[in-house]
Amino acid sequence: MVGVNLQVLDLTVNYGAYTALDAVTFSVEKGSCVALIGPNGAGKSSLLRTVSRLLKPSRGLLYLDGRDLQKIPLREISRSVAVVPQDTAIDFDFSVEEVVAMGRYPHLQRFQKEGRKDREIIAEAMQITGITHLASRSVVNLSGGERQRVIIARALAQEPEILLLDEPTANLDINYQVEFLELARTLNRERGVTIIAAIHDLNLAAQFFDCFILLNDRKILSLGRPEEVLTPQNIRIAYGMEAVVQRNPLHGKLHITVIKGNGTHPEGPARPGIHVIGGGEETVPLLDALLEAGYRPSVGPLTREDSGHRFAVYHALRVITLPPFSPVSDSFHRQHLELIKEAQVVVVPSIPFGMGNLRNLEAVQEAMSPGMSVLLFEETPVAQRDYCGGKAQLLYESIKNRGALVFRELKDLLSFLREQANPASPGPVYIRKALLSHKASHNLISGGNCNAG
Amino acid sequence: MIIAHGWQRRFFLLVLLALLLFTLVYSLGLGAVSLGRREIFYIFLERVTGAVPADVAISAASRDIILNIRLPRVFQAALVGAALSVAGATLQGLFRNPLADPYIIGVSSGAALGATVAIVSGLTLGFAGFGAVPIMAFAGGLLTIALVYHLSRQGNHVPVMTLLLAGIAVGAFLSAFVSLLIFFSGERLHQVVFWMMGGLGGARWSYLRVMLPYVLLGCGCIYFFSRELNAMLLGEDTAHTLGIDPEKLKKIFLVAASLLVSAAVSTSGIIGFIGLVVPHIVRLLAGPDHRFLLPASALCGAIMLIGADTLARTIIAPAELPVGIITALLGAPFFLYLLRQRKKIRYF
Repeated sequence: MVGVNLQVLDLTVNYGAYTALDAVTFSVEKGSCVALIGPNGAGKSSLLRTVSRLLKPSRGLLYLDGRDLQKIPLREISRSVAVVPQDTAIDFDFSVEEVVAMGRYPHLQRFQKEGRKDREIIAEAMQITGITHLASRSVVNLSGGERQRVIIARALAQEPEILLLDEPTANLDINYQVEFLELARTLNRERGVTIIAAIHDLNLAAQFFDCFILLNDRKILSLGRPEEVLTPQNIRIAYGMEAVVQRNPLHGKLHITVIKGNGTHPEGPARPGIHVIGGGEETVPLLDALLEAGYRPSVGPLTREDSGHRFAVYHALRVITLPPFSPVSDSFHRQHLELIKEAQVVVVPSIPFGMGNLRNLEAVQEAMSPGMSVLLFEETPVAQRDYCGGKAQLLYESIKNRGALVFRELKDLLSFLREQANPASPGPVYIRKALLSHKASHNLISGGNCNAG
Repeated sequence: MIIAHGWQRRFFLLVLLALLLFTLVYSLGLGAVSLGRREIFYIFLERVTGAVPADVAISAASRDIILNIRLPRVFQAALVGAALSVAGATLQGLFRNPLADPYIIGVSSGAALGATVAIVSGLTLGFAGFGAVPIMAFAGGLLTIALVYHLSRQGNHVPVMTLLLAGIAVGAFLSAFVSLLIFFSGERLHQVVFWMMGGLGGARWSYLRVMLPYVLLGCGCIYFFSRELNAMLLGEDTAHTLGIDPEKLKKIFLVAASLLVSAAVSTSGIIGFIGLVVPHIVRLLAGPDHRFLLPASALCGAIMLIGADTLARTIIAPAELPVGIITALLGAPFFLYLLRQRKKIRYF
């Protein structure tokens, strides 16, 4: 199935004085699954519309299987190129089967009735898209997801070699979006249908497509494999925003995260130094809440793969980085002690403890001093997170005995910190008590707005 | 459904055809002068074979009523009903708007202006058995659609929404002229108003002979592209991706529908409601597939207009009502009834 299906050379499309596409050149191999991405107005739709001959190129050439597209009769094109638009409003009471059967029009002679082969193709298209049970239902009463499946079934009935999808999931709920793209993927794999889809959700695109064309400002900015196209630089140029590109831990495909507020944090008076122990998924919401409240906690020690580490690096927090898959060595332990001693507040998140990170808890015990608040955040009791045969529990007990405070909820922990920063405002009684026992509070300056959970 | 229910559709069409024949024959006997079916049969027998059994006497008056008054009138009702219904179905599909009727794009206003000018000015030109009124009405209708089409043209395409709005605007503009003419029409006022209400009283064979080719051409042309019209209901872009050139088809449908409407209006005035209601009735019963909708609408429209016209000429006999009043009086409530029943009545 190797061979070039669609070739676009120096394509320029003008609408009157407006240029919709400017000297676009690319080719799509038979059987590929191409995502067409780019910001609104970049030319995604114009490109698809030109390929389906809805728009005429002002300059440039399109070849379909080596033939000049403009010279192929429309009906013949519609036998090999099918289009699924963003949304199809059907106000007339056609049954689902009638709409799907329209996909056979390009293959039928005038006044020719659908024959046995046509009926089989129609039934198969309905079966693949899972709408056989809707066959006699009126399209008017279908949900958006069902209607879009009817439209793709109609497109399939055309028996296309190329399926053009113009933001087909834009009006669908998330479950239907995934369902729809999975269907497209299946068609691509099992029948070798070439798929070119304009998609505005980059993460959905990354999840389902293996080839990308990024349009920006009516030109191709980048094309190729997702790793080549979905780079922070390209996203910055095309969308004007900062993004982090990672591998999604669940399916290993690229995942783009838009960065809120571009990594800046509210300016305000200095906050007390906070150190957060350890990492893992559980730490991230805590770190995020602390950042929101205006703190710049230090973190560690963590390996590079840790989500807490990624967060810390992205937000330029101080972090002790361990080599991959390594326990805390003596030198890192010493670094950790230093970091703890610098902090006025140490927070132990609700993370599991195993032999790999038990030493961090030991460091807390070792470095604890009277001027320091140690806050144990216990969303789940430590007994359930102890994978060291009770050693972590023992350490917790000892830390608690030396004056550490226990918090069950993140918002209490945050209001404690706020209370320390601003003793004037009334707060829960236990915090007042805690405050009295912590003389360190005298050098805390009242802060700005802290958004506790 | 197209596929599984082909036989049901054919059966439905046969039923409609039988009903049309029955209505045709039945309505021939009704009128100011009531004629027996036997007498009518012998009149036809005489007409076809030139002889009748010796014991049958046919009065010249009866012969004249059947052959020169009622027969052309019934045929004209059938043709006009079919033409309006097919034009209505086509325009509803073309505009993807169930409110469209044959007169929506201004053809009727143009025809009315032509007819009014002819009546008010007392024009006496004649051509092929036609008076000035039908000729002017026909020309007025076709000129209007040409004007509307060119007004809505943007580059080389014609957006249907613009077409619809331009049609309504031009129609309103021309109607204002009609009103102006009526205002100054003096003793011809009655004639103009009567023409506008629509009626088949002026039916004659010569009208039929000229009208028939237009109606056949218009209907045939639209039916030829009925599959394309289906695809157009999914939107022009979708139609295009099914290998159809929507701009070309729009032109074809507009010209064909305008021919049908102009032919109907020029001979019978502006008969309302048939063109709006009949396609809806058929669609409600059997779905919007034009390959079936168009012939069924033609038959149904013919039956309904013959029926309405028969009522119009018998209800206050020997005088008669304009048939447009009957179609609206009966059509509107029936349509509302169907709308309320909507969910239960699509049989196939």
